[in-house]
Amino acid sequence: MGTPTPFGSATELSASEIARYSRHLLIPEVATEGQKRLKAAKVLVIGAGGLGSPLGLYLAAAGVGQLGIVDFDVVEFSNLQRQVLHTTPDVGRRKTESAAAHLRAINPEIQITTYDTRISSANAMELIRPYDIVIDGTDNFPTRYLVNDACVLLGKSNIYGSIYRFEGQVSVFAPPAGPCYRCLFAEPPPPGMVPSCAEGGVLGILPGVIGCMQATEAVKLILGIGEPLIGRLLLYDALEMKFREVRIQRDPQCPLCGEQPTLRELIDYEQFCGVRGQEAPGAPFESDFEISVEEVKARMDRGDDFDILDVRNPEEWQICRLGSAKLVPLGELQERMRELDPAREWVVHCRSGARSAKAVELLRQAGFVNVKNVRGGISEWASKIDPSMPKY
Amino acid sequence: MIRVALPVHLRTLARVSGDVTLDIDGPVTQRSVLDALEARYPMLRGTIRDHVTHKRRAFIRFFACEQDLSNESPDAPLPDAVAKGAEPYLIVGAMAGG
Ligand SMILES: [Zn+2]
Repeated sequence: MGTPTPFGSATELSASEIARYSRHLLIPEVATEGQKRLKAAKVLVIGAGGLGSPLGLYLAAAGVGQLGIVDFDVVEFSNLQRQVLHTTPDVGRRKTESAAAHLRAINPEIQITTYDTRISSANAMELIRPYDIVIDGTDNFPTRYLVNDACVLLGKSNIYGSIYRFEGQVSVFAPPAGPCYRCLFAEPPPPGMVPSCAEGGVLGILPGVIGCMQATEAVKLILGIGEPLIGRLLLYDALEMKFREVRIQRDPQCPLCGEQPTLRELIDYEQFCGVRGQEAPGAPFESDFEISVEEVKARMDRGDDFDILDVRNPEEWQICRLGSAKLVPLGELQERMRELDPAREWVVHCRSGARSAKAVELLRQAGFVNVKNVRGGISEWASKIDPSMPKY
Repeated sequence: MIRVALPVHLRTLARVSGDVTLDIDGPVTQRSVLDALEARYPMLRGTIRDHVTHKRRAFIRFFACEQDLSNESPDAPLPDAVAKGAEPYLIVGAMAGG
């Protein structure tokens, strides 16, 4: 597998840096030489969320000399349960701005560059090119494939981590030394099949565990020590408190890193993953089968005769609900469709519109003629119709 | 007795917690395990293997005893440790949360 080449050229450590990093300098595997390598290293963290928070904090503290942070979002209350890089007064602030402030407070010796933008096929190569290592802390399939492809095309190591509820996965993708993300999962699941953390939730500590493992792998790669997690996938289960390791190999037929690659540039990842926008409030869907929250409210007030179907999970139903709605979680819809009258008019909603769009599709396929998806879901309802309703 | 570990979202779908245990008559292969799994939990049909071709779906992988069996013949015998229930048959799915 070979020892990764150390990155960049080392510069001397100042007296304040020596004081700051003394516990590293005492470890033979790091020492002054290693600390200088960390200082010369350039690491790009994509996503300042659950994973990006702990790994950003630790990489900054460890003295990674140049840390780039990409995020397009603002800090929300629902982030604070796990995104420990941001604090309560940061709610409403750009994540990049909040991240830079907290990382600078932890370590003013390093250079932090922020990119307040959504990484896309148009900017990914440019964003990644100046860095030695990329850490994938993103939260959706299109961006994961985008980051993977850009890293392989640019020959950068991609430190991968992902999480859901109580489980996580970690690996280091670094072809040709090992597989890439596409070798492992050639295609993403169809939209709606695998829930996101926004839909299904996540234990707040979990990204701490997985993010810290990603940070560890980054530091090992920079120092050129230990056995990197290349060609191995680590599976973590917090409930069982169990780690499992499995071996993964390059796929000779991989369209990106295989023997006869056909992907030589970035593609349209939204299309590849079959998504039209993530579960973003107000994401556009086909207009014939959608309805706005204002319209639903007006029709309720008029006393129109229609039924409301809520396809969220029972845990979400406990947080808030629309009075007369019938609850059938999306995952159970297929088998429980008999409970619904196809002759009735159905207005379907979820949290923010993605799952209900899928439900509308299923119902239409099953012969329901009059079904509409509530654009923006119950989140939109809470924003525009009933501000007393809790948002989650 | 065979132990099968499912990805979280499929455990939710099948309404099980922890590993699934199955009894298999005859040879213990990936095909016989998956057939038994789908027979017990019909809602899993199409989520692990394609409905029609019964091929592994591209966002799922199979492992046992640390080895990747995803591209092995579905009729090859599974390792003894799996057949005896000492080691689980792992079905691992792509997840994207961060
Ligand atoms: Zn590959």
